[in-house]
Amino acid sequence: MLRLDQLSRRRAGRPAVQDLSLLLQHGQVLGLLGVNGAGKSTTLSMIAGALRPDSGSIQLNGADFLEQPELARQLIGWLPERAPLWPELTVSEHLDAHGHLRGLHGAALKQARTAIIDRLELQPLARRLAGVLSQGQRQRLGLACALLHKPALLVLDEPANALDPVQVAALRTLIREQAAAGTAVILSTHLLTEVTAVCDRVAILHEGTLRHDGAVHSDDHAALERTFFEIAMSGNNQPARAA
Amino acid sequence: MSPAFVSPFAVTRLEWRRLLVRPLAWVLAALTLAWLAWNFTLLLGNFLAGQIQRAAQPDGPGFVDLVAVPLLAQLAQLAFMVVPLITMSVLAGERRNGTLPLLFAAGVPASRIVLGKYLAVLGWLLLWLALTLAMPLTLMHATHFDWGKLASATLGLALMLAALGALGVACSAFASHPAIAAAAALVIALALWGVNLGAQMAGINDGAINWLAMSTHLQSLLRGLVSTTDIVWFVLLTVLALALATRRLVADKERG
Repeated sequence: MLRLDQLSRRRAGRPAVQDLSLLLQHGQVLGLLGVNGAGKSTTLSMIAGALRPDSGSIQLNGADFLEQPELARQLIGWLPERAPLWPELTVSEHLDAHGHLRGLHGAALKQARTAIIDRLELQPLARRLAGVLSQGQRQRLGLACALLHKPALLVLDEPANALDPVQVAALRTLIREQAAAGTAVILSTHLLTEVTAVCDRVAILHEGTLRHDGAVHSDDHAALERTFFEIAMSGNNQPARAA
Repeated sequence: MSPAFVSPFAVTRLEWRRLLVRPLAWVLAALTLAWLAWNFTLLLGNFLAGQIQRAAQPDGPGFVDLVAVPLLAQLAQLAFMVVPLITMSVLAGERRNGTLPLLFAAGVPASRIVLGKYLAVLGWLLLWLALTLAMPLTLMHATHFDWGKLASATLGLALMLAALGALGVACSAFASHPAIAAAAALVIALALWGVNLGAQMAGINDGAINWLAMSTHLQSLLRGLVSTTDIVWFVLLTVLALALATRRLVADKERG
């Protein structure tokens, strides 16, 4: 579904991501782990089409995404870190705006909006301005916008930020639901529990390079923690290894 | 798989909606229209008071010269303040909210983002012009109208608003904060207006420096003289400003 090949990007004069190669299948949930500044958000921004890589390629369903950036419109749903919103628009207007930008119109948009409002229980907030929402509510709205057009790839950057434990549980259920429906999900986080709870695979980034790529088992928390800390405490230029 | 069709006006619709729900646009419209309405009544009062004297001059100035054009000239003065305030948030606000990457991620090209936002602003400005124009037009059955002169002055104002709007969008594209964008747009617009003031004071009324000034081109149109040069000047400024804004947005996406 998604193939990253030798993806690199410099930011602020230093390499933020270097030679990153990854493969993701339909229905798979990939956890992207790393300490702050490891290159997770840069990677996700490139996958979402918001940032152009310096080199390398991104393929979506076999098509070169960098040559056809409009593919992102249809295939990708992105929730950036801190869920940026237009503060003067209501929740409902946000969904309409995202729908228009993703090519949804008329009855199809109305149907998609109603479905996502019901699924994420946004009905009581539908007429509220985004500027007055709590951080948790903002995250839910951002997630609704990302899911509105039923993307084939869902890119979530720290989605559990500011959510209470009940909302975190609901988010995990939602991610598993999406994966069961065939959506590929990439989830960036620095919480190991998040990865063991919902992910099939984990990729650990450190100083912009992929240092680990392997399967995750829910009873594997201690092993994952050990691997993560080994990488986080190590120096640079270690090769990626499969678990 | 063919990508879903996105209306070229998706960004315009979004910006227009944002403009309409912000109190600033309504407050500016209400205050400026009230000010213009007050001035319209004063201009009309003066016009009526001088009617008997003008009856002796069949080719003297009429209603359009003494009421409609001065009213539009006042709108032009207000535009220097109003346009930067209306345009300041269009891109600088997106940057501050962190919402610009959402537009990039939706596969909307930078040129379409700039054009979409510009069209929304232009729509608001033309509506503002139309409401101002409606004041003298209410008397069109009561007095003689020089339609040609009024059309020329309206064209001049529309071109000026279009150019100032584009300048404001460009400043908003380059600024990190809306207030900086507004200040920059105001200063650049004033500089463009009066770039030839020094030359005029020195008695130079021709030459390149006068051609550069916005006042030269607007005043011709307000006098009823429509020339291709004046129209081209405004169109060039508009295109240049929008091209610069697009270039800046492309750089934003490259830089991240």
